[in-house]
Amino acid sequence: MRITDLLSVAFGEIRANKLRSFFTLLGIIVSVAFLVAVVAIIQGMNAYVKENLAGAIVGTNAFQVRRSPIQIGLYDDEEMKRVARRPRINATDAAAVRLAIPDAQAIGLTTGFPTPRSDIAWRNREVGDILVFGVTPPYQEVQDYRFDAGGPLTETDLEQRRSVVVLGHEVAEKLFESVSPIGQDVRLGSEHFEVIGVVAAKGQVLGQSFDSFALIPFSRYEMLYGRRLTTTISVKMRDAKDVDNAMLRAEEAMRVAHHLRPGQENNFSLETAAALVNFWKQLTAVLFSVIPAVVAIGIVVGGIVIMNIMLMSVSERTREIGIRKAVGARSRDIERQFLAESVALAILGGLLGVVGGWAFAELVASVSPLPARITGWSVILAVTLGATVGVVFGVYPARRAARLDPITALRAE
Amino acid sequence: MSPHTDDVALSTTAERAAVVQAAGAQPDKDWVIVTRGLKREYDMGGEIVRALRGVDLAIRRNEYVAIMGPSGSGKSTFMNLIGCLDTPNAGEYWLSGELVSQKNDDELARVRNKEIGFVFQTFNLLPRASALHNVELPLVYAGIGSAERKERAMEALTKVQLDNRATHRPNELSGGQRQRVAIARALVNRPSILLADEPTGNLDSTTSEEIMKVFENLAETGQTVIMVTHEPDIAAHARRVVVLRDGLIASDERKENFTSKLGL
Ligand SMILES: Nc1ncnc2c1ncn2[C@@H]1O[C@H](COP(=O)(O)OP(=O)(O)OP(=O)(O)O)[C@@H](O)[C@H]1O
Ligand SMILES: [Mg+2]
Repeated sequence: MRITDLLSVAFGEIRANKLRSFFTLLGIIVSVAFLVAVVAIIQGMNAYVKENLAGAIVGTNAFQVRRSPIQIGLYDDEEMKRVARRPRINATDAAAVRLAIPDAQAIGLTTGFPTPRSDIAWRNREVGDILVFGVTPPYQEVQDYRFDAGGPLTETDLEQRRSVVVLGHEVAEKLFESVSPIGQDVRLGSEHFEVIGVVAAKGQVLGQSFDSFALIPFSRYEMLYGRRLTTTISVKMRDAKDVDNAMLRAEEAMRVAHHLRPGQENNFSLETAAALVNFWKQLTAVLFSVIPAVVAIGIVVGGIVIMNIMLMSVSERTREIGIRKAVGARSRDIERQFLAESVALAILGGLLGVVGGWAFAELVASVSPLPARITGWSVILAVTLGATVGVVFGVYPARRAARLDPITALRAE
Repeated sequence: MSPHTDDVALSTTAERAAVVQAAGAQPDKDWVIVTRGLKREYDMGGEIVRALRGVDLAIRRNEYVAIMGPSGSGKSTFMNLIGCLDTPNAGEYWLSGELVSQKNDDELARVRNKEIGFVFQTFNLLPRASALHNVELPLVYAGIGSAERKERAMEALTKVQLDNRATHRPNELSGGQRQRVAIARALVNRPSILLADEPTGNLDSTTSEEIMKVFENLAETGQTVIMVTHEPDIAAHARRVVVLRDGLIASDERKENFTSKLGL
């Protein structure tokens, strides 16, 4: 029997029993759909974190020297206390890092934790709860800021402690709407600042905006809010391959600056976008380890349903099997026919699952900020899974069908 | 198979006896069917039912044989054995010079496919398939490609005057038409023997006559036909009548009017 004939019989049967086939496949469809949807959403989030979030916090080809690590959340108390005992990072440290990495494209300083949240006002309008950072001009280069209007803070602004401000996209939009923000006089608390630039939108992650900030010269910030606990040093390299080496040199310089002896632990943190992505990946890895178990249960149950239906089908079609054998079908032809049917059925279930999962992921993506990304491998996985389930749970019914002897089968009702 | 009515005569009693008695010997290819001491028993939970108790029969190519006998005499059992749908408990069965009773399942499947055309009382068509596809079925298992299959199936349907019903499903056909589809299916792979177990058993008398005409025409063109029937007037179409009784051959007669018709 030719493969094309096998397939045409298999699909003929499925088509003749559409509704039954569908219900047979429900378990497989739901399991695969769940797998595809969840994987799509997680992968979408991974990509988003990598492209937007990590870049937004740290910058590309960049790393930060910080007092505390970025990945707040999954710590125990012990570690929290250790971080709290760390010395702050100051201008001396910054100078040491600068000296150690002369080949950096840009090294910027930002006022660190705790970042004040403040209201900003223009005429009678007000936008609340924005993040105010004091920065040195190179920070804007580290962040790859592009400007919607105006330009960045300059060294002169820094030296002269000018009352100038660069606004995030969202702040400018809310405050000025159609009015051009450049040159306008805004108030931060009680202080007046002149708007000199508006940074292009970076987007948002999980509803958290990255465009709701105001940057003022580092020196002006210290006058306004006093010396903060710590400073964050941001270093940007020209090339991704230089980042690792630069981090080693920064680490060495920091250890010297903090008088650490060999063997003593670092009392500062080095963060890259990669580290942030890794942290996120750790989180998703937990999810990834739970999903297969859930899916496996669904698939096994789905497979058993397929096996049951195939057994039912074999006994319903005993006479057909007799007829086929009477005209020359070998046992192996019958076995293949039923196996082809269960495999076709299961693959179909897998594919419907992919479509369902994809649709669900798209739906989630359209009504929530969670992005979705369907990858090729989830389709391949669904098909392989379907084929495997079809073979594993189809073999027994197919063998039963093949074993029937022609005359007994022909006598069946 | 081309018609051989000219060079192969009907077997005589003496010739048959000679072939049947040479136990173990391979018969000449012209003896399409030779059975020696063929037995079939059913174990019905301790009680043994002896359906066939040693059937010796030799049938030459081109013969048209009717098998008769009372109900339960073992006619169907015998047909299933020579149709390779069932295997004997003892005895030899030679088909076209090959010892079929020793073949394994796969070889038997091949024999059913290539050497035997079987027509059943209950038609045994695939209900969801068209007439054409039903006729194609043996060719599917012969591994023949779709185009050639369709062509040959149409040819076979034309032989039974059903080429205009090719796309109909069995439930869209009359009983007589269904049986003709079944005959076309039995013929499509050009088998050496055509077997029919009460082919008119489910048909009214007019339709039965039509179907008998089909068998008669086939026999005329040299097709070997073996048919089980209860009806004497249907058996009258055949040139040789074998009667079974209690699992044994009770009589085996050649009909003179047919030999004269063949000009012997
Ligand atoms: N599968 C079976 N199991 C048990 N006994 C069987 C089986 N098939 C046939 N028999 C017995 O074998 C004997 C011969 O049966 P068979 O069907 O060959 O008779 P038949 O001559 O074809 O009868 P009919 O004219 O009624 O069709 C009967 O006694 C029957 O009961
Ligand atoms: Mg019978």
